[in-house]
Amino acid sequence: MASIPLPTAKHSLPSLLHAQTPKTLLSQKLPNLPKSFQSQFCGVKLSHSSNFAVPSSFKKSSILAKVSKGSVAPSFSLKDQDGKTVSLSKFKGKPVVVYFYPADETPGCTKQACAFRDSYEKFKKAGAEVIGISGDDPSSHKAFAKKYRLPFTLLSDEGNKVRKDWGVPADLFGTLPGRQTYVLDKNGVVQLIYNNQFQPEKHIDETLKFLQSA
Amino acid sequence: MLKDPILKSKWYHRAWVASGCTTVLVSLAKSVTVAADSGIWLQPILAGLVGYMLADLGSGIYHWGIDNYGDENTPVFGSQIEAFQGHHKWPWIITRRQFANNLHTLARAVSFTVLPIDLIFNDPVLHGFVGVCLGCIMFSQQFHAWAHSTKSKLHPLVVALQDAGVLVSRSIHGAHNRPLYDSNYCIVSGVWNELLDTYKVFEALEMILFYKLGVRPRSWSEPSPSWTEETDTSSLIAES
Repeated sequence: MASIPLPTAKHSLPSLLHAQTPKTLLSQKLPNLPKSFQSQFCGVKLSHSSNFAVPSSFKKSSILAKVSKGSVAPSFSLKDQDGKTVSLSKFKGKPVVVYFYPADETPGCTKQACAFRDSYEKFKKAGAEVIGISGDDPSSHKAFAKKYRLPFTLLSDEGNKVRKDWGVPADLFGTLPGRQTYVLDKNGVVQLIYNNQFQPEKHIDETLKFLQSA
Repeated sequence: MLKDPILKSKWYHRAWVASGCTTVLVSLAKSVTVAADSGIWLQPILAGLVGYMLADLGSGIYHWGIDNYGDENTPVFGSQIEAFQGHHKWPWIITRRQFANNLHTLARAVSFTVLPIDLIFNDPVLHGFVGVCLGCIMFSQQFHAWAHSTKSKLHPLVVALQDAGVLVSRSIHGAHNRPLYDSNYCIVSGVWNELLDTYKVFEALEMILFYKLGVRPRSWSEPSPSWTEETDTSSLIAES
């Protein structure tokens, strides 16, 4: 998924998605859908290097990939909900779950934040930190965190610069910011990328499962 | 007896329902007669089926829009928006409305839509689609009312059609009529509900509208106390 961040590329590469063994957990229950839609509704996970032959016509899109599995996540410095500047480098030495979400106070993002909150102790037990990132400003994050008693850091990616730098793909033909979560190891290297717009709680399941098995 | 007079049909309610039915029947008649003359049956019938399916989808989209956006001051739709919110508060009232009272708003819209088509076009396939689609839309309020009724009060044929999924069932629609009123919006047959809800189509549209225009749909918040379903209805029914 991360190697083909562009929406147009994503929709034209159903066979490539299939080769990366996406977790389409609902696919058994849902009618047959193009795989390009399945990822938005059922989630796509990249967690291990898959040896597959990339057709030469698709190689161009992998060069455009920003952050992919195995790469060192680019650093950033963003303001948190208290207005303090936080750098990604601060978390080096422990695994970090960085989750990009569309917006505060929307149903999916609220479900996701609350699910991370409810499992936060498990993440801590696995030695990991959790960071949520959206384009909302610090005051929006502060209100959101307060209302739902979120114990972790929310960062303001104003202008969505970091989202673009990391190559988080947009959904629904570019109309909606994507919901994508990265798990970085203690050296800041990306080990898991999970994308699922409409089943936000699955981000917690997938990342926790990965951290607990590592 | 109900003491609220606005549940009875007025003469102009009946007039609109009559005109709506007339335009739809003319359309269906045109479809049948021209099809018979040309000897084609399959396409008009298929067009009718498509019309029936799209009426259900259309009912859902319209219902979603009215339930979630605007308020009583919105131009054109304000009174309907208020009526829909009132329906959430007092869902049983729809079963007490007289027939024309319940349908006249839709019948008026259908009259204006179908009349020009009746006057201008003769194509049996087009009329097969229009007659069935707009007919189902006009009667969707009746199907809706039946979905709020109890089994014992319904004609066995209506119950059979609900159980068969031809008309929206009491249980499927009942799933809509509870906070946050964010699912099962279709009210003709309800056949689209599972697909739309499984694929979170309306949630996706809501997210796009929120992200692009900053408008929050009503279904994202608990309904205000003034619009939450009222279970004490003694003030609305006079002792007979």
